[in-house]
Amino acid sequence: MKTETRIPFYLAWKYLQRGNKWTLLLTVFLMAIAFVNLIFISSLFSGIIDGTNKQIVNTMTGNVYITPKDGDDNISDQENVIDTIENTEGVEAASPEIFVPASLKSNNYKGNWTVLSVDPDKEKNVTNVSQNMTSGEYLETDDADSIIIGRQIAGGEGVEQDAFSFKGAKVGDKVTLSLGGLEKDLVVKGIFNTKFLDTDSRAFITNTTLSEFIPTFGNSPNTIIVKTTSDAKESDVIERLKTNGVDENIYTWEEVAGLMSSVTESFLSINILMSFVGVLIAAVTIFIIIYVDIINKKREIGILRAIGIKPYIIFTSYIIKAGAYSVGGVILGSAIFFGLLVPYFNLHPFVLPICDSVLVLTKTDFIARAETIMWVAVLSALIPAVAVTRSKILTAIFGK
Amino acid sequence: MDKKNILNIENISKTYKSGDIHVPALQDVTLIIERGEFVMITGRNGSGKSTLLHQLGLLDLPDKGKIILNDREVVAMNEGERTMLRLKYLGYIFQEYALIAELTALENVMLPAMLNGNSRNAREKAVEIFSEVGLEDKMDRLPTQLSGGEQQKVAIARSLINDPVIIFADEPTANLDTTASTEILELFKKINNEGRTIVMVTHEEEELKYASRLVKLSDGKLL
Repeated sequence: MKTETRIPFYLAWKYLQRGNKWTLLLTVFLMAIAFVNLIFISSLFSGIIDGTNKQIVNTMTGNVYITPKDGDDNISDQENVIDTIENTEGVEAASPEIFVPASLKSNNYKGNWTVLSVDPDKEKNVTNVSQNMTSGEYLETDDADSIIIGRQIAGGEGVEQDAFSFKGAKVGDKVTLSLGGLEKDLVVKGIFNTKFLDTDSRAFITNTTLSEFIPTFGNSPNTIIVKTTSDAKESDVIERLKTNGVDENIYTWEEVAGLMSSVTESFLSINILMSFVGVLIAAVTIFIIIYVDIINKKREIGILRAIGIKPYIIFTSYIIKAGAYSVGGVILGSAIFFGLLVPYFNLHPFVLPICDSVLVLTKTDFIARAETIMWVAVLSALIPAVAVTRSKILTAIFGK
Repeated sequence: MDKKNILNIENISKTYKSGDIHVPALQDVTLIIERGEFVMITGRNGSGKSTLLHQLGLLDLPDKGKIILNDREVVAMNEGERTMLRLKYLGYIFQEYALIAELTALENVMLPAMLNGNSRNAREKAVEIFSEVGLEDKMDRLPTQLSGGEQQKVAIARSLINDPVIIFADEPTANLDTTASTEILELFKKINNEGRTIVMVTHEEEELKYASRLVKLSDGKLL
């Protein structure tokens, strides 16, 4: 009996060892292509979702987003609150922001963009806007008449929202900040391009500028964005902030992502749909490959049955063989994906208005898709192999 | 049943159907195969020779009638039981060698024996049979590296490995030249002289001399 259970493995090994090498290579290659097809689309969408999420966190909201408690317009006792936040475990940096409901004008172009008043030293520890200056410089704390503007505000050739921009503003140009009938002339100190449309439609001034322009705004932010350490879980940090006495409204970045959250959810839905289609394509491809392989061995299967080999031994050997094909396909597919495609897209990412997207494949997704390929291969072998072993012996051997 | 009778078929009939066309291949055939016989089934093309061999060898089931192998009625058995009988009691040699292409000659012969015992015993026994059929120097070759006659000898060796009660051969020399055919028939004679029962289908007149008994079929009926 022990020998009998080893025979399917023995037969499968001999088929692989002594069968046509080109057929083996072609089959494994086709399996690999089916696997790459399955993980490529998924990793592409995952890359867009991941890239978008990173853009939201790194350029706008931080990991944790704090707003005044219900009924208040501002976060009072800013210094104590910031101090508490910065001393909470899992917090790397925090930056208070004041949304200024002002309009901007340059030459004859005027518009309402989001203008934020920040402490530049704190802001650059939370967002990466300072690292994405395409011309000019980032703000200094004591800048009193400077403004930095996003690429979408500056406008110019090739800018997505040029129609609603300053149509090519440059560093050194004059920009007028208008609020409640008051106006202040500022100089464009820098232009940034984070490649995230929402952020690039923002402008930043310093708290010094705002205090001089409208002293009543005082020193009370209406938002604090928080960057967590890489190993910290956002929900845990929020719990700790509440425990430490921060009684403002505290949200994860996902809760305030707004429209972008819907966009990423849409990408997620498309990803699921495309993955389903990918599985179907892989299933059909693998089924055809293995079906043809088994049908070509129909006569041999008939002979094995004629000489008294039990059907389960025969079809198990073909299932093992199909399993080996799929393992080979997953290994080769992984080599193609991680050795060629991922490095290529790291060098040449997909450029989108919201992010530069690379291929992202989580360990869970990789395992799930590898398992899919293997199960599909096994089922693809099982169906025709069982059908042939259940057909009449003479039909299998002689086709009659 | 007489102890000498090892296979007994009683009134078996088989009709092949293709759409509305019914072709009676065997009609009420009754036949007894005795231990140690070398029976040759002969007849014209389409007379039902191979169909009869397939019924005798449990490769197909009759539409009616009984097949009794070693006192056991096999038509009512399930396929699993018939598979076991084919493995333990019957040996087959087909017209087109029917070897597994990915296995060496030795592995082809060992395979049925591996299901009956351990691999080492199977190997020892296979090597012994190879020397009996005169192919001991070609055991490690793949079927494609052997001539037609040699492949048929391997098939004969495979049919012998489990000490079958009866060996069935369906026109085993049909694809061979005269020299190879004679070698195969001489080998069958030798095996038969050692006490094994052989049932062979042929339509070659010159081969009939090797038989201890002839069974002639015409239009699915025994003559």
